Amino acid sequence: MLQRYGLAVLSVGLALSAALFLESYHFRNVEVPLLLFAVAVSAWYGGRGAAALALALSFLSFDFFFTEPLHTLYITAADIPYFIAFASFASLITWFSTVRRRVELDLRQARERLEREVAERTQQASLLNLTHDTIFVRDMNDVITYWNRGAQELYGWPAEEAVGKRAAELLHTEFPSPVEDIRAELLRSGRWDGELEKTRADGTRITVSSRWSLRRDERRQPAAILETNNDITERKRREREIGALNEELAKRTADLEAINKELEAFAYSISHDLRAPLRHMAGFTELLQKNIGPLSEKSQRYIGIIMESAKRMGELIDDLLSFSRIGRAETHKTVVSLEEIVQEALSEARPDAGARNIVWKVGDLPASYGDPSMLRLVFVNLISNAIKFTRTRPEAHIEIGSAAEKPGQVVIFVRDNGVGFDMKYANKLFGVFQRLHSTDAFEGTGIGLATVQRIVHRHGGSVWAEGLVNQGATFFFSLAKSQGA
Amino acid sequence: MSPLGRILLVEDDPKDVELTLTALEEYNLANEVVVARDGAEALDYLYHRGNFMRRSGENPAVLLLDLKLPKVDGLEVLQQVKSDDNLKMIPVVVLTSSREEKDMVASYKLGVNGYVVKPVDFHEFVNAIKELGVFWAVINEPPPGSMKKR
Repeated sequence: MLQRYGLAVLSVGLALSAALFLESYHFRNVEVPLLLFAVAVSAWYGGRGAAALALALSFLSFDFFFTEPLHTLYITAADIPYFIAFASFASLITWFSTVRRRVELDLRQARERLEREVAERTQQASLLNLTHDTIFVRDMNDVITYWNRGAQELYGWPAEEAVGKRAAELLHTEFPSPVEDIRAELLRSGRWDGELEKTRADGTRITVSSRWSLRRDERRQPAAILETNNDITERKRREREIGALNEELAKRTADLEAINKELEAFAYSISHDLRAPLRHMAGFTELLQKNIGPLSEKSQRYIGIIMESAKRMGELIDDLLSFSRIGRAETHKTVVSLEEIVQEALSEARPDAGARNIVWKVGDLPASYGDPSMLRLVFVNLISNAIKFTRTRPEAHIEIGSAAEKPGQVVIFVRDNGVGFDMKYANKLFGVFQRLHSTDAFEGTGIGLATVQRIVHRHGGSVWAEGLVNQGATFFFSLAKSQGA
Repeated sequence: MSPLGRILLVEDDPKDVELTLTALEEYNLANEVVVARDGAEALDYLYHRGNFMRRSGENPAVLLLDLKLPKVDGLEVLQQVKSDDNLKMIPVVVLTSSREEKDMVASYKLGVNGYVVKPVDFHEFVNAIKELGVFWAVINEPPPGSMKKR
């Protein structure tokens, strides 16, 4: 502010000094252009205020030094046109300079705005470049105008090559529906998304999940389309794989169901048709025996064997059927109290023991998770075995308890002091119809432990045994622990 | 001698028929057994059709029914009998080789009066048949309209 008025005072002072100096060398009438020049300089560089001050000072100097009477501030009528011309000229210069300054200011502001915008845009563009997502912009003629680093990474085209090309031609885009429909949707709602097939620079086809956003200009006219792409080729491949696997699974399930049905029909047929001939063999042998009358001891024995065999085969068929039924039956799993189940099993198996001397020991048993009737069958089989194989002992000891737990599982054992077994045959214990003793020594079909194993396996557990010949046997099985137990 | 009711035995296997009749003979129950060889014949008997057009009007005292039969199977016969107002009072005992739970459940759902699995052992078989025959044909009071032997 002060500088501006200082400029006015200084320029008028300099002009006056020069005029007075020149006048002393008899150069006349140079004072007016010099003073006007001082006003012009003040107006140009100092603005309106400085111009007014320079004008006032110039008036006074001119009046004082150059108009008659000299060295007074008296103004004669003859001086007035001078003053008017002087003032008009000064105003004109001031007005010009003001306009110039305004234009200059506007220009400067415009430039600053532009610079800011450029800086902002540059930053945005470089931010878009930072992302690995594929982003590019197309104008309404599908010509690419922007292409970020992610696009370069995905498609293999650098920005210099991609910008200016038509996107659909560059990428051989395959649309899921007519492209006109997609455009119509975009123009209506401002966006579109879907899956597109595109081609990379190296020729490989990829599937992308594509999102389009429409940008409109100030006149609300569609101006550009921003497109982002995500490569979902791998995901689609996996989806197809999963679909194929599911189909395969459904087919296998159907196959299994068919096989199961067949098996059921087979078992049904065995149940009906295989037992009838056995009944006839046994029945008619018996009738034959009656019909013939008294028989020799040998013949009597043969007939006895035939009938015994028929009966045994009947038992085998029954056992096999119930064993296969366990495999086919649905399990109805609930939280079960093993103690209750053991009590039920004991009351079912104990009558086998008759009047024998058996010391029972039943420990604490945890709650578990399983099918109660199947688990009861497990205990019935194990307890019956224990009773059976301690038959030769004057005092039998049978213990039921839980052993050290595995994580999330309970381990149950049934231990006896019976005839035991040789560990080298332990793997044969649980096979169907596998027996380690002759039928003469210990009766049975060899289905009991196979049944135990099948039930335990169906519960996701395992079964194993430890034994020594004549030193007793211990049978273990594991079950899932009941939640919260 | 107490009056004997008629027993309708529905059984396709002649050997089983023979064994059953033999078992019943021992207790003098064989005379009043009528044998139908399949489900269709059993229904003919019950409805006085075909070969049985001229038989007397009363219902049998008990129906011993095998399940696996040619033409019309046992469960179909059972369903027919139990859904007919004139027949549903006849006691029906299923006498079968099958221990299949499926059959047992289906039979009881249809309203069977007894379910017996034929034992393989002859003595057990004879016992079972005897007890069935004695109970249903002698001890049990059949519903009104059943045949009785004088």
